[in-house]
Amino acid sequence: MFIEFFYKLREAGIPATPTAFLTLCKALRLGLVSSLSDFYTASRAILVKSERHFDLFDQLFAHYFEGAELPDLEGFELDKMAKALLDEWLKNPKAIADAFGIDEKSLEKYSPEELLEYFKERLKEQTERHDGGSRWIGTGGTSPVGHSGYHPEGMRVGGESRNKSAVKVANERRYKDYSRSGPLTQASMGEALKRLRNLVPAGPKDQVNVEESIYQTMKNAGEIEIVFDRSLKDRLKVILMIDNGGWSMDPYVPVVQTLFNHAKSHFKDLKIYFFHNTVYDRVWEDASRFKKPVKVDEFARKDPETRLVMVGDASMAPYELMARDGSIYVPERSGLPSIERLRFLVDTFPHNVWLNPVPERMWPYTRTIMMINQLFPMFELSIDGLEGAVSQLMAA
Amino acid sequence: MSKKEQVNEFTGASKYVLDDELAKIVNISMSLEMPLLLKGEPGTGKTMLAHAIAESLRMPLIVLNVKSNMKLVEALYQYDTLTRLNDSRFGDSTRDVSQIEDYIKMGKIGQAFSADTRTVLLIDEIDKADTDFQDDMLDVLDQMEFDIIEIDKVIRAKNRPVIVITSNAKKDLSDPFLGRCNFHHIAFPDPKMMRRIVGVHFPVLDNDIMDNAINTFYRLREIDAVEKKPATRELLNWIRALEMDPDFKPKQLVKGDVPYLGVLFKKSQDYVTAGSVISRRSRF
Repeated sequence: MFIEFFYKLREAGIPATPTAFLTLCKALRLGLVSSLSDFYTASRAILVKSERHFDLFDQLFAHYFEGAELPDLEGFELDKMAKALLDEWLKNPKAIADAFGIDEKSLEKYSPEELLEYFKERLKEQTERHDGGSRWIGTGGTSPVGHSGYHPEGMRVGGESRNKSAVKVANERRYKDYSRSGPLTQASMGEALKRLRNLVPAGPKDQVNVEESIYQTMKNAGEIEIVFDRSLKDRLKVILMIDNGGWSMDPYVPVVQTLFNHAKSHFKDLKIYFFHNTVYDRVWEDASRFKKPVKVDEFARKDPETRLVMVGDASMAPYELMARDGSIYVPERSGLPSIERLRFLVDTFPHNVWLNPVPERMWPYTRTIMMINQLFPMFELSIDGLEGAVSQLMAA
Repeated sequence: MSKKEQVNEFTGASKYVLDDELAKIVNISMSLEMPLLLKGEPGTGKTMLAHAIAESLRMPLIVLNVKSNMKLVEALYQYDTLTRLNDSRFGDSTRDVSQIEDYIKMGKIGQAFSADTRTVLLIDEIDKADTDFQDDMLDVLDQMEFDIIEIDKVIRAKNRPVIVITSNAKKDLSDPFLGRCNFHHIAFPDPKMMRRIVGVHFPVLDNDIMDNAINTFYRLREIDAVEKKPATRELLNWIRALEMDPDFKPKQLVKGDVPYLGVLFKKSQDYVTAGSVISRRSRF
């Protein structure tokens, strides 16, 4: 009955198994599900096994049972903007009533569901009329607006509905923060930290634990049992270089910094440096990139076992990377193009990664990203990306 | 829910505030006889849920606290060789040394299986153990039986226990393991829910304290760059501390003065961050 739904989930990348689907069918047969919201709860508990897929499930559920638009990836950011705009409107019901040319009182008569429908219809008209106006409507088309029209915040006008329908619950997208793709935020900090904690060295198990061996031998009634422990290894040194120039990096700098500072106790040494766009002759210890410059050549003296983590969007004009005097700052004129500086860093520290807040699917569109990607193993600045980066750094 | 199930339906307990969604999932898992895997931030009541189920269904609760170096056998049964060795040497006990069965003690899972009534089995923090433990346990929970190798005896569950498993997501759980469980992620309660939770624990709390404490609490949770955000447990302890203090007035909180910050933030770095944010705010 819901086979199509099941395959939709699998298509979207939720690893729902046939066994789980059969279990769901069993639940249906046992009469445990009597309404759509029961079905929502049951199918999620049975089919989806990780909170990181909850968000996707919510979207699909809303799509399948209500025909809500699946947000296309391109419109993702616009989606947020449109939603914010809609929220603003809804704070002032009178303004909307005026805009739609109806009386505020008659607005109250609608049930939240009707209101939602109404808004959607009107918004569609609205977008068509505004087409070619401000950017978010022009490029986003009707879909982001139509989709956001569903947002529960939008129901404030008609008063909050107490018993929300499953579809509405699904449309709330409560689990957005748990989704593992998408850029790192303060909310996903805890999850990210867990990934970073794997950044600990592990030696081979080659040291005899004498006490434990004696105990186990006694327990074995005299049969000798030797217990081995991992040999201790020194903790890691980490160098973190952050691109903090330009607004494109602004939201990510504090996140990355707090993340690594929290993980600091796991490292022997953590040094944070800053640069703008790419590395030339120097990097800076202070975020203003003014007071404490450090020459890049100096890094040759550091321990080559140090793990180097670069964070930046790697997006710039190609000449900034390739030209001899590419730096946008005049005093940096050593004659070496930036790409050579980066290569020097890669050669100095064989364990290195580049974390990029730009989503991976956008990388091929920027030439400098692809060029830097050839030097550094590049990962997306998301929880999944972080996981990949950590295993890359730990690889021998 | 069918009629005959209704007798055994879980509806909440005296010290536990249950949201409808979770109640549904618990009931579905019970009827499907599948373990329920709970994930969520610390302090969202994962462990408490098992206690609440046991209380409301009047079943005994058996808790298996998973440790990092635990082997599955320990959870099933223990063969006490040391005592047997001792008995065979000194022979001053009532046990029969030639009977190995006398030296078998049931572990937590074993106890749940051999109990005469249906029990609630809570397997707490499964993610601490390694994947082998999880996979081995699956077979046992799937078959509802295990073998005591030393005496070649099969222990079969007399009553299928209600199994609740919690995980703090320190490690990812294996796919076959997940496949056999129902899954729910408990989100952090919203302020409304939190009021009810606090209300359950402090039935005679002054409204003023309640409002201000919860407001302040959620404001403090919004502070970024904190490693361990205060959770329900911290809030309850904090309110307890505020109640005890005769000098405390709810107005202090409105002004931005937060006493006993150490109850809420337990990592020194977090404590400092929170302290500085608060003092910055109170200046305005």
